[in-house]
Amino acid sequence: MKDIKILTNYWGKINPLKIEDYLGVGGYSALKKFIEKMNQQKALGEIKSSSLCGRGGAGFPTGQKWEVVAKNSIKEKYFICNFDESEPGTYKDRMIVENNPHLLLEGIIIAALTIGAKKAYVYINGNYETQKDILENAILEAQKNKFLGEKILGSKYFLEIEIFSGAGAYICGEETALINSIEGNRGEPKIRPPYPTEKGLFGKPTVINNAETVANIPFIIQNGGKKYAAIGSKNSPGTKIFILGGAVKNKGVIEAPTGITIREAIETLGRGLPRGKDFWFAQVGGASGRLATEKELDEKLDYGKNNNIPLGSGTILVVDKSINIYDLLLSWTGFFRRESCGKCIPCREGTFRLNEIIERLADGEISQRDKEAMQDILWTLESTTFCPLGKFAAVATRDAVDKLEILKD
Amino acid sequence: MRNNITVEKILLEFDPVAQNLLLALKKISKNFGYICEKDSQKIAEYFEFPITKIYETASFYDLVETKKPANLEIKVCSGGDCNLGQSTNVIREIENHFRIRVGDKFNPKVRLKKISCLGRCGDGPIVIVNRKVYERVTASSIYKIFAEWI
Ligand SMILES: Cc1cc2nc3c(=O)[nH]c(=O)nc-3n(C[C@H](O)[C@H](O)[C@H](O)COP(=O)(O)O)c2cc1C
Ligand code: SF4
Ligand code: FES
Repeated sequence: MKDIKILTNYWGKINPLKIEDYLGVGGYSALKKFIEKMNQQKALGEIKSSSLCGRGGAGFPTGQKWEVVAKNSIKEKYFICNFDESEPGTYKDRMIVENNPHLLLEGIIIAALTIGAKKAYVYINGNYETQKDILENAILEAQKNKFLGEKILGSKYFLEIEIFSGAGAYICGEETALINSIEGNRGEPKIRPPYPTEKGLFGKPTVINNAETVANIPFIIQNGGKKYAAIGSKNSPGTKIFILGGAVKNKGVIEAPTGITIREAIETLGRGLPRGKDFWFAQVGGASGRLATEKELDEKLDYGKNNNIPLGSGTILVVDKSINIYDLLLSWTGFFRRESCGKCIPCREGTFRLNEIIERLADGEISQRDKEAMQDILWTLESTTFCPLGKFAAVATRDAVDKLEILKD
Repeated sequence: MRNNITVEKILLEFDPVAQNLLLALKKISKNFGYICEKDSQKIAEYFEFPITKIYETASFYDLVETKKPANLEIKVCSGGDCNLGQSTNVIREIENHFRIRVGDKFNPKVRLKKISCLGRCGDGPIVIVNRKVYERVTASSIYKIFAEWI
């Protein structure tokens, strides 16, 4: 079971630019099964029984999200694949598209048809230019093979997929900001509710799923939800692509079942730290992720609600004792200062001031007043911001204060 | 020089609907380096939006420039991975060499900026010079890169 691969099994073995290669390993047979032997309700049932949950960070149950939109009888609905991927240190979705774009497409097609959408968008990170070409080519090939367009595989189904390329803004990965961005506005978040499942793109019911989430769909349709639910953690089954960086021997993306511990990820997947490096902490989930010290290495990597160390995007950055912590603090706080969308004051000002105080801390010029202000700012970010970005901005710095004691003289 | 591409020609590739605004802005910025005031006026007229709306959207996104770029625009990724790969040393070296400070906008010839992770973390530190991406850059390898541009 530990070796099961759902997303990465054909990486490097098939040519991403040739649909024949994907077809040769059984590709699009889940779509065929959906068209020939299933209906929308049955497919929705399989996704629900798989307990698949979102890989975009929050781990929301996918079946539940789909059901809201599938049940809505309105004609105009949308499916959006979130391929914005801009959490620092995260490049798993990019690797899916570089290695097996049709897996993602097949997932998008089944998802869109199941919820009753006739148009799907792929919102792609504006820096991913080669990946956009790969996807465009894959869409053309899928059309030629009747997997897309009118009368898909001779059925009554119709679907059009459009790629929308972002323009370099982290916040546009947040679903309501993403919608604003497609609609031609500043990519600022909107108030929820209404959720996109009620009023999404162009005010119509919309399902938004992360690219990795979507890439799991063909397996579930092909093998059944129950089989999927038996893999990995009970609370959030399946496999996850982990992205290992920093002080590990084996850097890169690796697929493993959910529920492995942070220690296993570092020791087994990452093959441990290079000789001569001493473990200090690991940051799990990108720049907005928490810091796990030695004591927390046996925490599970899954989407359990009460996890001390949330899995987030699946990024694990291993930091050893030779690293200058101020460089990392500047990296985190600088990131959020740049990427704050500016809509609400606690985050716009808070990220700015936090970064300034860290600059003074790094220069050895921090005052007692700064230290007190820092606590206030962290609290404000954690408790009062309009969208989750503000909360994210406090996470790593808070842990550095509490666990690494950066403010201690 | 630019194959006679004009703002008008680029605009005609897009239907004048809100959904195409960002895509058009990105393309114009990429072609001309930035979006100047005159061009914003043309875009505003084409889409039938007030010019404020054009700036409102344009100024939000990193990949749409609204200021004239310097001759040498240097961007260094400051994400966690690149950081552990010593991108700070790269920044320091560039600062000392050109006698500039990261983030300053005073020098019209050279500008140095920190940018967010580009998803190329495995191949960092990442440096971008005038839109060209360089991987695994070190404090000493920057000189070879600049030689391409100066
Ligand atoms: C600041 C911020 C940035 C986000 N960035 C991304 C992203 O880059 N990719 C992504 O899939 N989800 C991102 N999300 C989560 C999305 O809002 C949304 O929850 C997700 O796409 C839903 O898909 P899932 O249920 O399949 O995870 C972000 C959320 C926030 C608050
Ligand atoms: S928390 Fe930050 S990113 Fe979110 S709306 Fe407020 S300013 Fe924008
Ligand atoms: S951290 Fe530099 S590209 Fe990701």
